[in-house]
Amino acid sequence: MTDALLSDRRMDPEPNTPAVLLAGATRVFGVAPALVRVDLRIERGETVLIRGPNGAGKSTLLRLIATALSPTYGSGSVFGFDLVTGRDKIRRRTELLGHRTRLYEDLTGAENLRFACALYGLASDGVGAALEHVGLTGAADERVRAYSQGMRQRVAVARAILRRPELLLLDEPYAGLDEAAKDVVDQAVREAGGEGRTVVLATHDPARGGMAGRTLFMDQGRLLPELVAERREPG
Amino acid sequence: MTLIRQSAVMAAKDLRIEIRGRYALGAVLPFAGTLLIAFGLSLGPGRTLLQETAPGLLWLAVLFASVLSFRRSYESEGEDGALEGLLLAPMDKAAVFLGKAAAVAVQLLALEAVVVLLVAGLFGLSLGGAPAALAAAFLLGTIGLAAVGSLFGVLAESPRAREAVFPLLVLPLATPLLVAGVKATALATTGHGGEAGSWLGLLVAFDAVFLAAGTLVFGHLLED
Repeated sequence: MTDALLSDRRMDPEPNTPAVLLAGATRVFGVAPALVRVDLRIERGETVLIRGPNGAGKSTLLRLIATALSPTYGSGSVFGFDLVTGRDKIRRRTELLGHRTRLYEDLTGAENLRFACALYGLASDGVGAALEHVGLTGAADERVRAYSQGMRQRVAVARAILRRPELLLLDEPYAGLDEAAKDVVDQAVREAGGEGRTVVLATHDPARGGMAGRTLFMDQGRLLPELVAERREPG
Repeated sequence: MTLIRQSAVMAAKDLRIEIRGRYALGAVLPFAGTLLIAFGLSLGPGRTLLQETAPGLLWLAVLFASVLSFRRSYESEGEDGALEGLLLAPMDKAAVFLGKAAAVAVQLLALEAVVVLLVAGLFGLSLGGAPAALAAAFLLGTIGLAAVGSLFGVLAESPRAREAVFPLLVLPLATPLLVAGVKATALATTGHGGEAGSWLGLLVAFDAVFLAAGTLVFGHLLED
């Protein structure tokens, strides 16, 4: 873990603040609202599943929590840091893993991970082990251009493994994956949850409901309050 | 990690992608060469006219070719949402700007070396008059061009905007650089390199303005 990250964690404004806290968070693209007055509280260490049809606002919600987007109205915080003024601190603690894997096609899988390590100030000596963990050792030195969608997603999972973020956000991570690749994603989710990190998983896939302690439903940019209370007790 | 080190990481990544894709070699250089030959043919066989216009044609070829290089530089960020990865990385966003500008500048300098030799051969441009002034004109002009292109490239994130809007933004802004580069080159290649100081000064000022502007505002352009 880097000194910068340790230093940031020591500066948590309130160590007991929830992982995610949104109050009336609204996001509008042009005139179209993608997220409408969302109130949400996710405790540290929770694994939360978000379900809903296409266009329900799941991706917008995750991108807002990751600070890729700012709320048009309303406010929110992640680990006590404001979504707008505390963006850099939130980004140190958060990894967004989506169906777009954010890889460079003309770099190899290993080179992509080493670049990510350099950006995040991490040592790159764990790259080989991370690729081995997701079953990509044999293809580590091939260009991403030649990878299948499943292999790309495995590299993205390896990046999340290297970073070990406090908050892991997964946006439709199973899209276009075969069963073996889905298992790799599932394993990453279970490991993060097992280590007490917070996970928010948005997916259509009903088979993934068993991994979450809580399931939220979204439709037309809104969290559906009558279904929010569906909780499963651990064990 | 310091800003310089982050910028170097960005530049190394862009250059590695460029070397792998051979975009400059395969597309930009042939484009610049074809453009110069077309210019030459349109002006006719008069050697004096060709020599007089060569500095302008040279810089126009570099300017148009640079648009292709900038487009490619941001294309790789858009292929699989990589630009969002840079946005979400806890780094100084000025490093993205400086790294991209450095990588494009290296590519353009390599391109210019070939294009200058081509112009010298085709149009009879003399390179021996004031080589230091000539080198300074290209170095300073390239830094300014790379700064403008890297700053505005991020605004044209979508492929369609990159095709249509980017040249409209960059080419007018690069006009002072184009004029100063042409004048300094003309003086340097006609043995009056000592008189090119004011034009080189204009290039230095242009570079300073756009490097400072890019370093300060790039993060805001990248953020939502």
